[in-house]
Amino acid sequence: MTVALERFDVSMTKARRGVLAARSGRRPWTFYALASVFTFYVAALYGPMICIYILSFQDIRGGLVFPMKGHSLHWFVDLFTQVRTGDVKGSFDRSIKLAVLVTVITLVFSFMAGLAFRRRFFGDTFVFYLMIGSLVAPGLVLGIGVGLLFQWIGINASWYTSALGAQLSWTLPFGVLVMFAVMSRFDSVWEEAARDLGASRWQTIRFVVIPVLAPGLVAVALFGFTLSYDEFARTLQTAGSLNTLPLEIWSMTLNVTSPSLYALGTVTTVVSFVIIGACIGAIVLINKRRGIRATSH
Amino acid sequence: MRPGQGDIELAGLCKSYDGVSNVVDGVNLKIPDGAYCCFLGPSGCGKTTILRMIAGHEDPTAGEIVIGGENVVGLAPVERRTAMMFQSYALFPHLSVRDNIAFALRVRGQSKAERYKTVDLMMEKVRLTELADRLPSNLSGGQQQRVALARAAITEPRVLLLDEPLSALDEQLRVQMRQELRRMQRDLGITFVHVTHTQLEAIALADIVVVMEKGRIKQSGAARDVYAHPRDRYVAEFLGGQNVLSGKVEKVGEDHLVISQPNRTGILVGVRPNASIEVGDRIDLAVRRDDIELMRAGAGGLEDGATALPSRVVAIEYQGSFVKVMLDTIPDEEFVAYIPERTFFRDPFNIGDILLATWSAGRARVLA
Amino acid sequence: MLRRNLSAWLYVAPLMLVLVPFFLLPILVVLAASFFETDGFGGLLPTFTLANYVDVLTSAQTFQLYMATLKFTVLTWLFTLIIGFLVAYFLVFHVRNQLLAIGLFLVCTVPFWTSNIIRMISWIPLLGKEGLVNSALLGTGIIREPIEVLLYSGLAVVIAYVHQLTIFMVVPIFNSMARIDKRVIEAALDAGASRLDVMRYIVIPMSKSGIALGSIFVVSIVMGDFFVVKVMSGGSSASVVSAFYENVGVLQYPIAAASAVLLTLILIGVISLILRAVDIRREITQ
Repeated sequence: MTVALERFDVSMTKARRGVLAARSGRRPWTFYALASVFTFYVAALYGPMICIYILSFQDIRGGLVFPMKGHSLHWFVDLFTQVRTGDVKGSFDRSIKLAVLVTVITLVFSFMAGLAFRRRFFGDTFVFYLMIGSLVAPGLVLGIGVGLLFQWIGINASWYTSALGAQLSWTLPFGVLVMFAVMSRFDSVWEEAARDLGASRWQTIRFVVIPVLAPGLVAVALFGFTLSYDEFARTLQTAGSLNTLPLEIWSMTLNVTSPSLYALGTVTTVVSFVIIGACIGAIVLINKRRGIRATSH
Repeated sequence: MRPGQGDIELAGLCKSYDGVSNVVDGVNLKIPDGAYCCFLGPSGCGKTTILRMIAGHEDPTAGEIVIGGENVVGLAPVERRTAMMFQSYALFPHLSVRDNIAFALRVRGQSKAERYKTVDLMMEKVRLTELADRLPSNLSGGQQQRVALARAAITEPRVLLLDEPLSALDEQLRVQMRQELRRMQRDLGITFVHVTHTQLEAIALADIVVVMEKGRIKQSGAARDVYAHPRDRYVAEFLGGQNVLSGKVEKVGEDHLVISQPNRTGILVGVRPNASIEVGDRIDLAVRRDDIELMRAGAGGLEDGATALPSRVVAIEYQGSFVKVMLDTIPDEEFVAYIPERTFFRDPFNIGDILLATWSAGRARVLA
Repeated sequence: MLRRNLSAWLYVAPLMLVLVPFFLLPILVVLAASFFETDGFGGLLPTFTLANYVDVLTSAQTFQLYMATLKFTVLTWLFTLIIGFLVAYFLVFHVRNQLLAIGLFLVCTVPFWTSNIIRMISWIPLLGKEGLVNSALLGTGIIREPIEVLLYSGLAVVIAYVHQLTIFMVVPIFNSMARIDKRVIEAALDAGASRLDVMRYIVIPMSKSGIALGSIFVVSIVMGDFFVVKVMSGGSSASVVSAFYENVGVLQYPIAAASAVLLTLILIGVISLILRAVDIRREITQ
């Protein structure tokens, strides 16, 4: 009996020692193991892309792979000026316009749906699973379906009708899911207080709900933009005759064998970064002003 | 502030959420205009539900709510000219103190200049002027409460409803803010309805204390009435400050009763019995804890008609101005004596001492 | 009650306005097309025939395709789960500074913001015969000849998938883990649990919903993919959807549709299994 207790005592001390060490600053070996896994992961994440960025500055004599034969901006120039079967500038234009459209629509529709889902309502499970279905359905299948549908109805597929709808079927579920997460932190007592003070339903939404949820709404807009800007599978079948940027990249992947593809990659990444950086900056700024610390999730 | 029109009458008020049990079960009450009324009771007794029904955030299942002579059931909160102060204060986190207070005026369409003028006056009244531009997350609990109060009061309501306003504060702050509330109420001159589960708070603040249990009013009246003259066992025990004895009547005299308990008989209680009491009845008696005197056995000095019960000291708690002595006078029930501090320390007792718990004739009351 | 339902439907109407014509109807269209016949020129004859399904289900090619797709799915799922779990665990439990944890989390999500096609082809200069990895290994003398299997192979496909999809595991698992009350862990340690015990009995069970959500994303994306497998395998492997893409390319709509319906049913089956383990709706809406 005493022996068993002693053993119990020893294992207690070991675990506590580990904990105390962790708390006091000395880290357990698992920290270093996990930290290396993490570093490896980040390196693997960024490594290939950084190669592309470097390679886009490839000298005019260089090819698609290392070593770099020098550096120049040749391929960037080539990208924008070379007359070719593709249409980079046009597709870039279209992608941005489409992405902005998708962002605005996603924001409004997701916000409204998020409000609806705060309480159970008749048929809410049906809508929920419809959303999840739209999320997991293979993009290509849906794209074909939309293409066929439009064909049968007799409307021509184009980037601002069928592709818009196809992309929305992908971004809206994400947007609504983000709204779910955001709404769960919204205290409905604020709405009651607003009502008590005399605000109408619309005034409550305008003066209380939207401002308080602002960081979450920016996140939804962010998702909408990114998902649209990079969307490929669903857009492939529904864009009609004019390409968006991902479609353009795809045809370049299949046809072009020069680093101008990499240059395109660099440019499109820079654009993404700028817009997303701005959104995140906005969220951080809003939260800072409100004095909200990044505490519990 | 405009006086008048803030009297409240609740008639047959009922509320049920599931159609089976009543959370509020037939409440009748009249609150005069300008009174400070406290609803007191444990969690789940229905007091908050009544508050929310008066405010208009819940609809009654049955009954009427009449404020200033008009039946307000079915009207929106703003139409009733009531304002509510929420338990968590519910300050808008994205608005400064000034904008929080100005909110009600903003939704009525007042211009910024107009709003701010009124708000500045209000902020002076509650002494928040230096905090005008702060956000709620940068305020202390007491400051948040003042903002919540100002925000509600700016609409010039005729009734202000407070949902456990002091629960979120620590002890010291609670006592301080009590006075703030009282002061505000007198300044504004309107009816305050305040819900709480803390007895001392209710009797400190209220003109009218309403004690509730399970959806019904057990007793309502001035604080002193409810505390010193509880009508039944529940009120006596909830308000604290009373010991409740139950016993079987053995003999009924002109100015006394003799009752018996399971472990002892022949207890003389000097109380004027009412006509309905007969031998064999089971009755409850209440004696104030600060009316109990503790004497050592055989010390003598017992008055005529006084009751003396042998008891043993179970625990002693020092409470500053008085000492709480817990005795085993009644088996399985609490029996506490509040002895003034100086009296106690003249001849202090110890745990385990056998004493006589005594009280003079006329101190005990028969409960319903 | 009725008013509340009506107003809820009013708010949800725009969402339905998109989902019905761009998800529900297309799925039904594909379902319908699977029962039609092709006229050989890309048109569809609206008859009812099960011939397409018979073709799809009895073809040996179908079996091979599904095996290949399943293989990729399982491998990808396994690797993304392990890496994702470790990364999330590291961020939540080993990084002390909350701000730093969120910063590192954002660092992981950044690549997600860039074009996924670019990210995929970015492996080519790394893994190719003349790529960086081979050059480095040759240069340091570890190998004598370039490893060919790194690119244009099944290995490359899995690498590309894992690269692209680990983030889908990291985010939900990170979310679930961050919600675990640290005091529960402290209580366990106080009671004598070792850190391994804590991992087994507290962390893993409480991250189940995150794992389930991540799995749903990973599985559905891999099973529905067609271009990663095409490009990264150099054409040597195929997946169900890439075959679908090819069928559509030659206007064989009915067969393609039947194959798509079959895939969708299998996908629904897999996801329902995952959902049985965890109540996703409750997790998301809380």
